[in-house]
Amino acid sequence: MSFFSPASAELKTRGLRKRHCRYSKEQIQENIELYLIMLPVLILVFIICYLPLYGLVIAFQDYTPGMPFFSFNESIKWVGLKHFLTFINGKYFIRLMSNTILLSVYNIAFGFWVPIAFALLLNEARNLRFKKLAQTASYLPYFISAVVVAGMVLSFIDTGGIISKLITLLGGKSSVLNTSPQAFPVVYTITNVWKSFGWNSILYLSTISSIPPELYESARIDGANRLKQMWYITIPSILPTISIMLIMAVGSILGSNTDLILLLYNPATYETADVIGSYIYRVGIEGGQFSYTSAVGIFSSAINFLLVFIANKISSKLTNYGLF
Amino acid sequence: MTQSAWKPRANRIREGSRLADVFIYALLVLICLITLYPMYYVFILSISDPLEAASMRVYFYPKGFYLESYKMLLQDMRLWRSYWNTFIYIIADTFLMLTVCVLCSYPLTSGRLIGRKALTIFLLIPMYFSGGLIPTYLVMTRLHLYNNIWAIIIPGAVNIWNIILCHTYFRSIPEDMREAAKIDGASHFQILLRIYLPLATPILAVIAIYTIVGVWNDWFRPMVYLPDEALQPLQLYLRRVLVQQNIDFSQLSSTEAEALARQRLSNLQIRYSMIIFTTLPIIFVYPFFQKYFVKGVMLGSLKG
Repeated sequence: MSFFSPASAELKTRGLRKRHCRYSKEQIQENIELYLIMLPVLILVFIICYLPLYGLVIAFQDYTPGMPFFSFNESIKWVGLKHFLTFINGKYFIRLMSNTILLSVYNIAFGFWVPIAFALLLNEARNLRFKKLAQTASYLPYFISAVVVAGMVLSFIDTGGIISKLITLLGGKSSVLNTSPQAFPVVYTITNVWKSFGWNSILYLSTISSIPPELYESARIDGANRLKQMWYITIPSILPTISIMLIMAVGSILGSNTDLILLLYNPATYETADVIGSYIYRVGIEGGQFSYTSAVGIFSSAINFLLVFIANKISSKLTNYGLF
Repeated sequence: MTQSAWKPRANRIREGSRLADVFIYALLVLICLITLYPMYYVFILSISDPLEAASMRVYFYPKGFYLESYKMLLQDMRLWRSYWNTFIYIIADTFLMLTVCVLCSYPLTSGRLIGRKALTIFLLIPMYFSGGLIPTYLVMTRLHLYNNIWAIIIPGAVNIWNIILCHTYFRSIPEDMREAAKIDGASHFQILLRIYLPLATPILAVIAIYTIVGVWNDWFRPMVYLPDEALQPLQLYLRRVLVQQNIDFSQLSSTEAEALARQRLSNLQIRYSMIIFTTLPIIFVYPFFQKYFVKGVMLGSLKG
């Protein structure tokens, strides 16, 4: 029935029509109904996603609240790339870029391999109930909200908190970790890894569980021990997943976990804690410099896009796997 | 060769040394402890006697038994108010999100939709390019949604990722059902309601759970758009108490004994009690939904 086109049949039986319409009345009616079903969502997507996209034009204007984004009289002032240049030449540029990149690099360096290693380790455990228990326990921190985690961490590293106690116990000097810029990257990275490694390992564990056991059997017959089995079977099977996750991680280097940083930082640690995301919030929403921070946002997104592109190219060349 | 020379071996696919086994299990137990200990520590501190808690000598088991901090929490009206707000946001957003996903993915699965390619592109662009924080904030203000609960609910329901998940799932439903229903004279809306919706329960469950978790944990959007404390959800209230630490406990009810208790209680203990009070429900509930999370992750990765 789907191959039968009413339009052509009508054309043949009725001869020439006034307008050659590709779609039959029936099809148009059907489409009207389908579009009616979809219309509310389309409007919502337009308002929520596209209007702000359009609003990005204020990065090229000197925007003050109350002005329309785009008008044809003289009320808006186009300033071109002025805000971009202000940002790049500003005194916080180096600090922001280095903090953002450093924190993300630490996150990748110390946090990327942890879920993978954990998945591989968990895979070696043979007791199924223990495996399930361990997996469930491992992603408990993911469900503790960022606010609660930040609250816990801040109270742990406070003077008199358990971490400070631990440090003095191990012989270190107890300093106020809360306001120490040197301590922040460590605190942030450890918190971030602790919070997300279990959840991120779900993907790898699922991929590993789809490896056919016959591969392991034949490897065992060939005399491979567990380590060799892991190296030659398990790891290559999850390599595509690893590549894609790595590309995505590298591509979001400039968009670090603003949520957690906003919760953990304070003015004393801005030196190492302030990243582009938190800067945009502070100067934009709290400070009201809308045009400037929109420009900063565009700058950051553009570089992110470039990074994803480059990472993808490199990955396709090296391992044949890529996002697109 | 005699029978006794042949020893039966356990049929294991992958053998390894016992030592490695012990090591692996020990490491896994250690990791689990690292994951679970902070929460446990907060818990035992919150029910310990305040003197012991203040002196920081509690590490592995609670010393003393003291539930006053919880009793004081129960009287904190703002806590209950924000709990209620979060509850409302979750219900509204989950319902809205499911509606949005279903309404949007169904028409896309019909092969006879005109402009399907354009629509798909229309939906995919926001996934890669977003306006960012400031333009979105300005749009919301223009729409008079600032300090309005709809500023949280509406954007929370628009998630292209979930729409794509739903669409992928709908595509796997065979066309014959739709054809059969058409022959019976059903309109598209009826097909959606009577056939696709019941069949889509698995993916809707996954999307619902993801939405619930997302709304429960969301504090950033309310922080930007809801300056009015009466509208703020739980996480934002927690942020004020736990992170900014400028909560005023003098508003809690005061009898003689409680005033005394309040003096003895360290601020820390009330905060820890609040953490337990607001996180324990999640901890008890999330293990039961493990299969949904795994399924969601797998479906998401298949697309990506």
